[in-house]
Amino acid sequence: MSENIVVRVKKRAWYVWLLWAVWIALLLFLAQNAIASARELESRASMIFWISFGVALIAGAVIWFVRRNE
Amino acid sequence: MADNGKVKLNRRDFLRIAGVGAGATAVAAVTKSAAAAPSYQMESFSDPAGRPHRPWWVRTVDEPTTEIDWSKVQRYNERMGSTRGPGMAKYVGEDEVERLSEVGAKLEKERILAGVDGYTLKDYALKDAHASYGRSYLGPQEAATPEERGVPKWEGPPEEAARIIRAAMRHFGAAQIAFIELDENTRKLIYAVDPDGKELIFTDEKEASETEDARYIPNDCKYAIVYTVQMSQETMRRCPTVLASQTTSLAYRRGEIIQASTQEFLRGLGYQCLGESSTNALGIAPALAVMAGLGEMSRLNRLVTPEFGPMVRVFKLLTDLPVATDKPIDAGIMEFCKRCKKCAEACPSESLSFLDEPTWETRGGWNNPGHKAYFEDSVTCRTYWREQAGTNCGICFAVCPFSKKDQAWVHEWVKAGAATAPFLDSFFRSMDDAFGYGTQPSSESWWSLDLPEYGVDSCRPVQEV
Repeated sequence: MSENIVVRVKKRAWYVWLLWAVWIALLLFLAQNAIASARELESRASMIFWISFGVALIAGAVIWFVRRNE
Repeated sequence: MADNGKVKLNRRDFLRIAGVGAGATAVAAVTKSAAAAPSYQMESFSDPAGRPHRPWWVRTVDEPTTEIDWSKVQRYNERMGSTRGPGMAKYVGEDEVERLSEVGAKLEKERILAGVDGYTLKDYALKDAHASYGRSYLGPQEAATPEERGVPKWEGPPEEAARIIRAAMRHFGAAQIAFIELDENTRKLIYAVDPDGKELIFTDEKEASETEDARYIPNDCKYAIVYTVQMSQETMRRCPTVLASQTTSLAYRRGEIIQASTQEFLRGLGYQCLGESSTNALGIAPALAVMAGLGEMSRLNRLVTPEFGPMVRVFKLLTDLPVATDKPIDAGIMEFCKRCKKCAEACPSESLSFLDEPTWETRGGWNNPGHKAYFEDSVTCRTYWREQAGTNCGICFAVCPFSKKDQAWVHEWVKAGAATAPFLDSFFRSMDDAFGYGTQPSSESWWSLDLPEYGVDSCRPVQEV
């Protein structure tokens, strides 16, 4: 009896790569502003940037998991 | 791979997630170190005249963004202002001035005894520590001249002259330095009468001089050196308190020191340098700064710079050393003011203009006609200072969206956006409020801050690579 293993490779479209790069850039932007706002002693701005960073991070992670499982 | 609704992680997925997490951590660490690293870089001037390399969204223009009718501009009698000469008494009467002084004195004692935040004894002591070392129109004249040394005076092309003056004045503590040549129009920005009542008279004589009644400006001293000194934004945001106001006093004292040093420096080169005889004397500082390209006029009717917002004090000198001159700028600041109005809304005495567009119409003798501006009511402003604040106010400076420390990247993006996409100005103003900028922290907390020298970041370069 022989076993057949099927390997399916799905290539990401170029725009998917671009969107992920935009997501990384957004995280970088939000993190920098959060940290620098704290150094500026602007606590409310820092909090808003950190929350935005967290939301963007979680959103990206969720989308990655969902797409991976499709 | 999902199995009965549960997501299972294999080794490859686990390593991918760990890699992303490590990458995010690395980004945060690099960002933190980048945010902590000083922005100052030791580089040679890239421009032969040492001109600063402004951000790409700052355009040099031939005409300032403030519309001027030079035919209507006159040399101003500074004794018409609300703070000098007869001052407030000219507008409200001696009795009212006396009453306001009594109110101020009573409030001062009550606040000290009550330990009011920002008005404690140590706040007043700090303010009084900024004693004036004295200003001089002709300068200290202590430095040895080239003639006394038996050597020829310094000579060089205007670009080099501008560059060495900039290098010296930056070392003395000036934030921005620019130059203009006084022509038949800009000469009108030199006062007709100084605050102490002495006339300022242009003369064909080669040497500047001063008598009991007048100060004589040689026509050769036609190059104005305009410079700014930073104020501490972290300190000023605690206004209107005595603690906050002393950053203004400190900036004036530093400007005084820079003036004396520059006068002596130019004397040592073999040239004259005429300065302010008292605070804000000699000429209209914001106007000269606008013409020299240090910034633009604004709704708070003071200079707002692209680099430091309104958090600067402006000073001027005159010299006969030929220098490379500068031109006005357009950084979208005056345009932003049309839609923002944050300073006018925050002003407790409603002294600032709420008009959408600047106007030619002045509001009193304290204003100099001949340019479109958001003219303020100086009397109600000063009345608030004396009757309620008990000191200089500064709220308009502190709430201005351009008053930022510029460590967060978003500030540069907003400034660039304001300069290039005015339709976003209202959105930027809304976000400035939403993010809590311009709010007033506790004055007592200032005494626990580990601020840099003078409370400013002197490593923020005007010159950006």
